[in-house]
Amino acid sequence: MSPPAESAPLSGRQPKAVRNALAVLEEVIAAGPGVTAKEISAALKLPPATTYRLLNLLVAEGYLVRLPDLRGFALGRRAGRLTVPAAARPPAAARAVVERLRQRVRWGVHLASYHSGRLTMIDTDPDHPPTGAAVLARFPHASALGKLLLADQPDWRAAVPELRRFTVHTVTDPARLAREVADVAQRQLARQCGELHPDRGCLAVPIHDVASGALVAGLAVSGPAERVAGPNVELVELLTEHAGQLAPLLA
Amino acid sequence: MAHPPGALPVPLRAESPMAGLDRRNLGPLQVFAQSVSGAAPSAAMAAAPAVAAVTAGQAVLWSFVVATCLALLIGLCIGQFTRRMAAAGSLYSLTAKGLGPVPAFMCGWALLTGYGLLAMAALVGAGSYLQDLLRRVGVPPGWPLLAGLVLLLGLLATVLVLRGVRLSAQVVLVVEAVAITLLLVVFGLLLARIGPWAGSAPFAPDEGIGGIAAGVLPAIGGFVGFEAAASFGVEARRPFQTVPRAVQWTAGLCGVLYLVAAYTQVIGLQGLPGKLAGQPEPVSTLAQLQRMPWLSVLLDVGIAASFFACTMATGGALVRVLLSMGREGIVPRRFGATHPRYRTPHVAILVALPVATLVPVVLLAAGVPWTRLFVVLLNVAVFGYLIAYLLVCVAAPVFLHRIGELTRGAVAASAVSVPVLLVAVVAFTVSGSGDGYPLMFALLAAAGLVWFAWVRLRRADRLPAIGIYDETSAADLFDGHR
Repeated sequence: MSPPAESAPLSGRQPKAVRNALAVLEEVIAAGPGVTAKEISAALKLPPATTYRLLNLLVAEGYLVRLPDLRGFALGRRAGRLTVPAAARPPAAARAVVERLRQRVRWGVHLASYHSGRLTMIDTDPDHPPTGAAVLARFPHASALGKLLLADQPDWRAAVPELRRFTVHTVTDPARLAREVADVAQRQLARQCGELHPDRGCLAVPIHDVASGALVAGLAVSGPAERVAGPNVELVELLTEHAGQLAPLLA
Repeated sequence: MAHPPGALPVPLRAESPMAGLDRRNLGPLQVFAQSVSGAAPSAAMAAAPAVAAVTAGQAVLWSFVVATCLALLIGLCIGQFTRRMAAAGSLYSLTAKGLGPVPAFMCGWALLTGYGLLAMAALVGAGSYLQDLLRRVGVPPGWPLLAGLVLLLGLLATVLVLRGVRLSAQVVLVVEAVAITLLLVVFGLLLARIGPWAGSAPFAPDEGIGGIAAGVLPAIGGFVGFEAAASFGVEARRPFQTVPRAVQWTAGLCGVLYLVAAYTQVIGLQGLPGKLAGQPEPVSTLAQLQRMPWLSVLLDVGIAASFFACTMATGGALVRVLLSMGREGIVPRRFGATHPRYRTPHVAILVALPVATLVPVVLLAAGVPWTRLFVVLLNVAVFGYLIAYLLVCVAAPVFLHRIGELTRGAVAASAVSVPVLLVAVVAFTVSGSGDGYPLMFALLAAAGLVWFAWVRLRRADRLPAIGIYDETSAADLFDGHR
């Protein structure tokens, strides 16, 4: 019952429907959360039945949500993916903390932001360049920083469009990944051993907003896969300590 | 943003009131299978045409066409809700959003009766067809065997439903697929042997319009349960798309299956005295007639499988209604609990499904013949379903009006389905008056009233809570719109 895989070009009234759907999305942003279907229909001069259909479609896709009164609409979580992530440079104080960690370990140290639900590298180790940013953002299941993001999602499956296999160690079984994600959420530590590159691995800890407790960033160290597999008690302690120092600096 | 953050007109919960269930984890096919199994088309394909033919005569096809249209209209009304809210309480929670707590309570009671008794009837049906199969290999039938089979199947269904919604949905999907395939093989072979075209006899209304109309009632019985997907809204991966489609497609699929089944039986049996209406086991007779007696083995396996899938789907829907009632405080709060690992309403399952198993076992042991037990359970269940359908069809346009999204199509669907359902409820009650059904319905209604009076007296503050569903919680919103 999934939509048929059509490769046919847009035809008939479809271009108009696409335009209308985008107009509805824009109108919800312009009017603010709580706007009703009737108000949207009036503002856009769209026939009510068309508006209701488009709204139901956008809600089904997760771009919009219905508020608990079932009348009002607001932007859904998925709408966050329509914005270009603000890859703002972290403040100098935060970069100093990351740099201090780099001095103390012989591993690569990277800082990632999870702004609007997407993984963006904001401070990467120049001496140990990480995997390309686009790959990390698209395949969160294969990296430690990505798994931290998944562990924070109410429905992590929606955030993984494709379980691509990079190495023999990449977790591509949904059930196994579900267990791992639950484990990451519980231990507040993500690990990746040779899942992206056969000989590299990563450990990552989350950084939560001090006030709201929301996940804002992740701090990772990367090194040889066989070293990552070990318990690394001291390393994890060091990582957690620096993450704690970063939390108040990354609002 | 025009509104500053925190300017939401309605406060959001931090967590969905349906938390604890295995949210957003069922694929479209699995959700579809729940609805199809709820309607148990394989069993109805074999039995419903002959029952409808008693009044509709050879024109029984038209009764099924009308019933299919009605089911599609009911599906349309249910879809108005399920496209907008993901609930676990099926029509009970939906009715609440349109008509408020008191009619919702009525719908809930009707639905509990319908789901509960249909689950029991399906267990008895599955057991009796298995017993028939065992008889072929020399196991002597009798009530102890039948009761044992019912007990075994009930236990199996309980364990499967308990151990996770994905597992049970997968089992339901596979079992139902087997059942429908077997029935299609049976009817395909019969149709090929009879010759697919046999004149216009099946299309002529030989018993008149009145006969066709009377035949609609048993035909509707074949669709009952097709809304089961509405109980799995919380667990469906894309509920607003999957659930309404599952319900509509089930109505369509069952309609096609019943038309094929009715057509085959009408033309295959028109040479016999009494024609289709005179046959107690039409498909087996047909198989004998076409010198393919072994077909009835396939038939028995298919029907037993269909009944078992029906038990699981209906039982799954039943416990989710109880879960919703538990969380609302209408029934003891414990029913609202979910198992931390299986993520299913384990308390409701461990209470309701054993009861649904033991009631028929006890009645069989008390000497009630299984055919009588099956028919009574089924008929009373159908009555419950009809009431619930009636209420949800009334509720749909009211709900749409309330949220300001009323359309002409929605009004039309309701305007046609409500009177037809009303007539069906009355006709159903009147037609069963010889067998004491009106008394049973009255007793059930009285029981519902007593329960309502008790809730009103002791838990009046809980009534407004009726209608919980998987609300949008803070985590579902885009950051800028919190």
